[in-house]
Amino acid sequence: MAVGALSLAPLAHIARIGEAAESTPPSDAPAGVMNAQLAWQNWALNCQGCHQPDGTGSANAAPSLAGNVAKFLRIPGGREYLGRVPGVANSPLADAELAEVMNWMLWRFDREDLPSNFHPFTAAEIAQLRTRPLRLEASPMRNELLKKTAASGPP
Amino acid sequence: MAQFDRLTERALRGFASRTSRRSVFSILGGLLAGAAALPLLPVARGAEGGTNSDDPNSGLVPPQYSGNPQDPGDRTKCDYWRYCAIDGSLCSCYGGSITSCPPGTEMSPITWIGTCRNPADQRNYIISYNDCCGGVAWGRCACQNNRGDRPVVRPQTNNEITWCFGTKSQSYTCTVALILGVAIEQK
Repeated sequence: MAVGALSLAPLAHIARIGEAAESTPPSDAPAGVMNAQLAWQNWALNCQGCHQPDGTGSANAAPSLAGNVAKFLRIPGGREYLGRVPGVANSPLADAELAEVMNWMLWRFDREDLPSNFHPFTAAEIAQLRTRPLRLEASPMRNELLKKTAASGPP
Repeated sequence: MAQFDRLTERALRGFASRTSRRSVFSILGGLLAGAAALPLLPVARGAEGGTNSDDPNSGLVPPQYSGNPQDPGDRTKCDYWRYCAIDGSLCSCYGGSITSCPPGTEMSPITWIGTCRNPADQRNYIISYNDCCGGVAWGRCACQNNRGDRPVVRPQTNNEITWCFGTKSQSYTCTVALILGVAIEQK
């Protein structure tokens, strides 16, 4: 699948329809993201429905990412957890697209908690992690990891 | 036979004495005018109103247009472009609109998201189908287009599911179609 060029046209098109877009696509690209517009689109089509446009999630569908997702990178096992959660491991996205969405999502929803030595997810790393998807154990594992992030203190 | 003749004569004379020649014309005139007025009755209009005779919603609710040539079509009809991936009932037919829920219902924040091509500019738009929950489902303006729908084993991309998560009531009423953005054209 070839990737289309980033265009300034989309916002103008929405403006012509005369309806405010619910969420505005980003304009700058963080580390590990080749095309922020495409990363946002893949997020919108595959993740946002449950995690919500602002990443706050919902009690019945998907946990919150806003203000906490990058904290998992600061503790042992956290990075692996992010690559194995059901929504990531079972995503229909290809490994490279998924790695890009992960990197975009970490920056979009919790850039304050990104470690200074953060290295972006790669397609190869995602491919390896998603071979071991978490199922029912995802929720208790999340709770355990969050306790550790709380204990590790501010970045 | 003579008795039959007498009976016939008495009936006809009785009829003639009760009616005038003018009243015959008035009855005939009434029938003619009544026949001409029949197509004006609402029943006849309902049958002729829709361009698509398969659409059961024809004539049920007044049409809703944006008035903007960049967003063409009647939002109470299943063939409106933003409904290409919808599975449910149209809130435009329930006192809501393309972006708002009917009174007494709550919009679910958890949604089914797809893409639809706008015939005005031939671009694909990312559309969020938010279910409105908590009201009565009348089944009016049912619409199943299902573009991009996947089997229920992939629940996040399946539109058969009632997306009333995160709302007080899980009872489905209807669905709105919000534009989230313009999709990147991919070859």
